[in-house]
Amino acid sequence: MASQENGTSASADWPGRYHHIDQVLNTPGPRTDPGFLAGDGVKDFLRNQAKILVIGAGGLGCEILANLALTGFKDIHVIDMDTIDISNLNRQFLFRQKDVGYPKATVAAEFIMKRVPGVKVTPYFGKIQDKDDEYYMQFNLVICGLDSVEARRWMNATLVNLVDPENPDSLKPMIDGGTEGFKGQARVILPTITSCYECSLDMFNKPTAFPICTIANTPRLPEHCIEWASVLEWPRVHGEKKMDTDDPEHIGWLYKIASARAAEFNIEGVTWSLTQGVVKNIIPAIASTNAVIAAACCNEAFKIATSSAAFLDNYFMLIGTDGVYSYTFTHKKRDDCPVCGGEALEMTISPEMTVEELIETLTEKQDIQIKKPSLSTSAPTKQIYLQAPPQLEKATRPNLEKKVKEFVQEGGEITVTASTLPFNLSLRISYSTPA
Amino acid sequence: MASQDVETVTTALATEAAPDAKTRRYDRQLRLWAASGQNALESSRILVISGSATSTSILKNLVLPGIGHFTIIDPNQVTPEDAGNNFFLEGPSSIGKSRAEEAVRLLLELNDGVDGKADVRSLEHVLENSKEWLSEFTIVIAHNLEAALLEQLASLLWADESYTPLVVVRSAGFLAEVYIQYHEHAVIESHPETPQSLHIDKAFPSLLEYSTSLDFENMDVTDHGHVPYVVILVRVLEDWKKTHNGSPPLSYEEKQEFKKAIFAMRKKSDEENFDEAVAQAYRAWAKTSVPSDISALFEDEKVRSLSPTSPPFFHLLHALQRFATEQPSHALPLTSALPDMKASTESYIHLQTLYKAHAEEEKAIFKSYLQVPVEDDIVDAFVKNSHALRLQKGKKWGTLDADPASLAAALETAPKALAIHLALTVLSSYVAKQPADVPLSPTAEALTAEALTLLPPGTELPDEFDEALGEVVRAPTADLPNTAALLGGIVAQEVIKMITKQYIPINGSCLIDLIETWTGIL
Repeated sequence: MASQENGTSASADWPGRYHHIDQVLNTPGPRTDPGFLAGDGVKDFLRNQAKILVIGAGGLGCEILANLALTGFKDIHVIDMDTIDISNLNRQFLFRQKDVGYPKATVAAEFIMKRVPGVKVTPYFGKIQDKDDEYYMQFNLVICGLDSVEARRWMNATLVNLVDPENPDSLKPMIDGGTEGFKGQARVILPTITSCYECSLDMFNKPTAFPICTIANTPRLPEHCIEWASVLEWPRVHGEKKMDTDDPEHIGWLYKIASARAAEFNIEGVTWSLTQGVVKNIIPAIASTNAVIAAACCNEAFKIATSSAAFLDNYFMLIGTDGVYSYTFTHKKRDDCPVCGGEALEMTISPEMTVEELIETLTEKQDIQIKKPSLSTSAPTKQIYLQAPPQLEKATRPNLEKKVKEFVQEGGEITVTASTLPFNLSLRISYSTPA
Repeated sequence: MASQDVETVTTALATEAAPDAKTRRYDRQLRLWAASGQNALESSRILVISGSATSTSILKNLVLPGIGHFTIIDPNQVTPEDAGNNFFLEGPSSIGKSRAEEAVRLLLELNDGVDGKADVRSLEHVLENSKEWLSEFTIVIAHNLEAALLEQLASLLWADESYTPLVVVRSAGFLAEVYIQYHEHAVIESHPETPQSLHIDKAFPSLLEYSTSLDFENMDVTDHGHVPYVVILVRVLEDWKKTHNGSPPLSYEEKQEFKKAIFAMRKKSDEENFDEAVAQAYRAWAKTSVPSDISALFEDEKVRSLSPTSPPFFHLLHALQRFATEQPSHALPLTSALPDMKASTESYIHLQTLYKAHAEEEKAIFKSYLQVPVEDDIVDAFVKNSHALRLQKGKKWGTLDADPASLAAALETAPKALAIHLALTVLSSYVAKQPADVPLSPTAEALTAEALTLLPPGTELPDEFDEALGEVVRAPTADLPNTAALLGGIVAQEVIKMITKQYIPINGSCLIDLIETWTGIL
């Protein structure tokens, strides 16, 4: 994977290179904002000044990088923490068989620079959480092609927190894409101005979780047998040894154990593919849907960077299973959004509710989706229950059985934190009057 | 069991080996269209007319999932303009080389399992001298083909019902259109989101017998909390009908009373199976019958005039009609797909066994109605999807533009979609009239005048038309990278649905506006 020497943008821009794109940059259209400055200024910004960050170099990321490069963005950065797997090759078109095992960000960046002269792609093989505010401040735009809710929430909250009303440059538009099989969505988020990712959390389904008692006692589906093998049998047999869902030997073991369990209960349908699908929570993915969503995202980036046309306000949803169905709408900002809303989330609970029950309720709430929350009060500051470190967990554990009422009065606030979230959630507690 | 080595026993049960490299490569798509869809893709041969950025974007999304073969037909050399917007050209180093050859070479790098060929003949030449060559392909895709040539190609491929479907792709700047020309497209595996009826209102004999044999009152408390809701509903409905002249609950009050009867059977307040039964109670009064769009298929000419040479789909439909007419349930055959529900393993598996056994009986009856042999896999898929079958009838490309009244009607019902279609149509008529080597500079006035000639006299064009027209005037020859990439996805997706005969392709035109990020169907 030798990196190719890239010419400067001036020498790389051969006559006619931007013939297609320049048609929409030289002239406004009927719906173009009157503020659009057609011609050289906008081309110079796009090609010599704009700095754009791509999060993810996978199914969407590969497409996004290629589109941005062809559109004329010359300074592109990309972050991805994964390495290339054989199952990526049916859609992640910048990778070849020989690249399996190498970092996605690096291989993708080198491919783009080799194919599209004069474009500089700077890869970072690691996590988005490794980077600080100063790093994110350098970009004009962020495009996310991620497969995890958690990473999107982090990125979204980080960009919302970055906004300084005194400094217009601190507002970084975030364009977010996501796909699942023939379905997908693309959206534009202007942090603090439009609805953010957190505002729409209740639109996404949580992955199916099977109750542990079903898995242990009353299996009915092949999935129950697979969960039994991975959740209960693996730790029982292998102790501390961590399960690696990418290791065919580990999947093979789970498949074998699940098959035996299924045979014992006369359950049909345990296969290798299903075993892998359940333990890795595999989401079907194809090149064509990724292409549509990535193109929609990059088109928004292009329109935002050039003002050549109005950008999406603010949500595009695509369903491709029955014809081509799409829905474009404005998703509304939530006043009680824990990230951009500023108002505390109202919650009415029973005066009898214990701290442990409140934690359980919070983890089940669709619009919060929080794992292992820690609770405290702010005025006065008092720890109710902390998940970590172990000493504090132990010290606060007795509070789990106590009633929430012992810590918070009617109308009082609880601060909820979790290691997976870069923000605090404020809950304003009201107590229901007993019937 | 105790005396045997656990490893040996479990190994014997797990019969599948780890998947091979090909299965691993295609894993994420096999979960959508299975081996049957993959086989269809791998047997397909695709012809793409032109090596434009849009054409290579489409092909990229077909080569990656593994079509069998593709040909790009394009007599042109790579221009500096092509080298700037096409990812499957190597920048300035491709300039002057054959566009088809360069694109094929770079597309083939994506997948060793795919065969590709560059054909540098002109389409005019092929249509004059060897048009039978087109029949070698499963599907033909044409991007921004000159209007007269497109008409010639569309007419040729429409001449016989058995000829190859044609995908027409047009784009200019932020606007685009995709049309699929086919006579008929039948889909068995449509992958519906709604499941088949569980036949609770028409319980088959073994289910009814099982349900009425249970002694709920004297049942052990644990067992009681694990009776599947299907069994509960069948039982409550049966008891209900005895006191209501054989009728299910009909009025709102009766339905509430029915739910109360379910609750009254509980032994404890936290029996989740009874909660499920209440939540699913509508299944007891929702009448299981043949959906109207399925019975409409029975009226198709090809079903009514069935002959031994009719395609299997129509034989299957004919058998389905006989089944629905002659069997006492007057419904579609039962399927064995039982959703998960709160139950003990034994009671759930027992119920599943009852469904499977009866579904097999009904399938045997269904098969006995078939007048020609049909492969078992197809029969299985047909029965399983019999509530969601599709038979789409298409039109020849250009039918809409030849009919002023239809255009005027669509201008009322779908102004935005029609505006984009019309703008692209008048642009291509304009292009056809211009000398080849002169840069295009259409004016809004000239194109509007052209549009009015297609419409009934006196038609007023809406604002949507001016908005769409302004975009094609602004960027008449722009094959924008993002528009090309989006079309690449949409067209490949539709082609995959056509080839695999799974999921449902568009019927007509899909219009795309990338200013508002909007799509519509015409």
